[in-house]
Amino acid sequence: MTIVYLIILAFVLGLVIWNLWTEKKLVNQLTAVMVIIPLVLRLLLIK
Amino acid sequence: MKKHQITALVCLVAAAAIAIYSGNLFLSLRKPDKIIPGPGVTEVRKLSDYFSELKGTRGDSDIYILKGAEEGGKVLVLGGTHPNEPSGYLSAVIMVEKGKVSTGEVYVIPRANNSAFTHNDSQEASPLYLHFDNTKGEERAFRFGSRATNPIDQWPDPDVYEHAASGQQLSGSETRNLNRGYPGRPKGNLTEQMCYAITELIKKEDIGLTFDLHEASPEYPVINATVAHEKSMDIAAFGMFELDMIGIKMQLEPSPVNLHGLTHRELGDYTDTYPLLMETANASQGRLRGATNEELALTGKDKFYVSAQKLGMLYVPYDENGHPIEERVGRHLQSIQSYVSSYNDFTGETVVLENLPSYDEMLAGRLGDYLN
Repeated sequence: MTIVYLIILAFVLGLVIWNLWTEKKLVNQLTAVMVIIPLVLRLLLIK
Repeated sequence: MKKHQITALVCLVAAAAIAIYSGNLFLSLRKPDKIIPGPGVTEVRKLSDYFSELKGTRGDSDIYILKGAEEGGKVLVLGGTHPNEPSGYLSAVIMVEKGKVSTGEVYVIPRANNSAFTHNDSQEASPLYLHFDNTKGEERAFRFGSRATNPIDQWPDPDVYEHAASGQQLSGSETRNLNRGYPGRPKGNLTEQMCYAITELIKKEDIGLTFDLHEASPEYPVINATVAHEKSMDIAAFGMFELDMIGIKMQLEPSPVNLHGLTHRELGDYTDTYPLLMETANASQGRLRGATNEELALTGKDKFYVSAQKLGMLYVPYDENGHPIEERVGRHLQSIQSYVSSYNDFTGETVVLENLPSYDEMLAGRLGDYLN
C-alpha cells in the first residue's frame, strides 16, 4: 500500500514542479514551493 | 531562458534548501536521547528479546534491568508510553541513572513507545527538547514527543480503530496509541506489536507489579491519581495511605471494566501482574494553556490555568507556582517507592529500591541533580 501511495505522491510532486516551471506569476510559483517542500519530505519518508 | 523560468529555478533551489534543512531537523529527532545508566543497572535488553519481529524497527526500545544481590520480586516501570507527558519519561530515566536495587529485580523501559519520541503532535507547537543541567554543569537534553506512534512507522490510520481483543471501537488515530493496544498481538500493527512485546516480557519474567507513568491536563478528571485494576486495589489503597502521610494527595480510581487496551485493564486481565497507572498535572498538554514552550512543560506556570482554577474548571489545585517538573517527577518516584512497599506487604515478595530521591528531596532540589 505504501508503494502505491508513494507512486501517487511522486506523480503529484511532478505535476507541481511542472506547474512551477510553466507558471508565469511569482506568487503562484511561491505557492508551488510551499507545496513541494512537504511533498518531498513525505516522498523520502522523513515526515 | 525566460524570466519566469529563472524565477522557477530560484524557487526550486529555495525549496530544496528548505527541504534539506527541515529534513535534517526531522531526522535528528529519531536519534535517541542519551541515557547514562548508573551503577544499579546490571543488564540492558531490548523489546525484541521478547518479540523478535520488533528487531530493526523504531519500536525496539531499551529495557534497563536493575538486579539486586538477593533474589526477590520483580517490578516493571513503563515511562514514555506517551512522550508528550515528560514526568513519566524523566522518572524512568532517573531510576535508570540513579536507582539501585538490593533485593529483587526492577525492569525499566523509559521510552516505552520509542517511535512516538521521533515526532511531535501536529499543530500543538510543542517544544522539541527539555534541557537540564546536571551537578557537573553539563547540559542534558530529553525529547518532548508525541502521544502516538510516528505515522512514518505505522500508516495509514483506519477510520475506526477496533481493539483486537475486545472489539471496542475508538477514533482511528488511537490505533497508534500504545495505551490502547494492550495486550497487543504479534500479527498486529507496530503499536500492537510493542504492546505484545511488553506483555510477553511481563509473562516471561513473571513481573509482579507494573507501573505505567503518565501525565494529564489539569482539566482532566483523572489527575494526581492512581488508576488500579481491581486486583491491584489493596496494594494501591495502602500505598495511598503512606503517600497521604508524606503529604501527597492521591486519588484512587478503579480501572473501568469496559475501557479496553489500557495497561491498568489489560495487563491485569491477561497477565498475573498487578498494574497501576499514575497521572500527574501537565499544563503543556492541556487545552486551556497559553504559549506552549519548554518553560511551560518544566514549570507548569500558566496564567490561563490560574484563571481556570478560579472558575472551578480544574481537577487539581492551581496557582501562580504552577506544577514544576520536580514536583511531578517527585510524585511518581515517591509513589513507586510507596506502592512497592505496599506490594511487599501484601504479597510476601520483597523488592528493595534504593538511592531514589524522595518527594521532599525532589521539591527541594533540581531535577538535574538526579541525572548523571
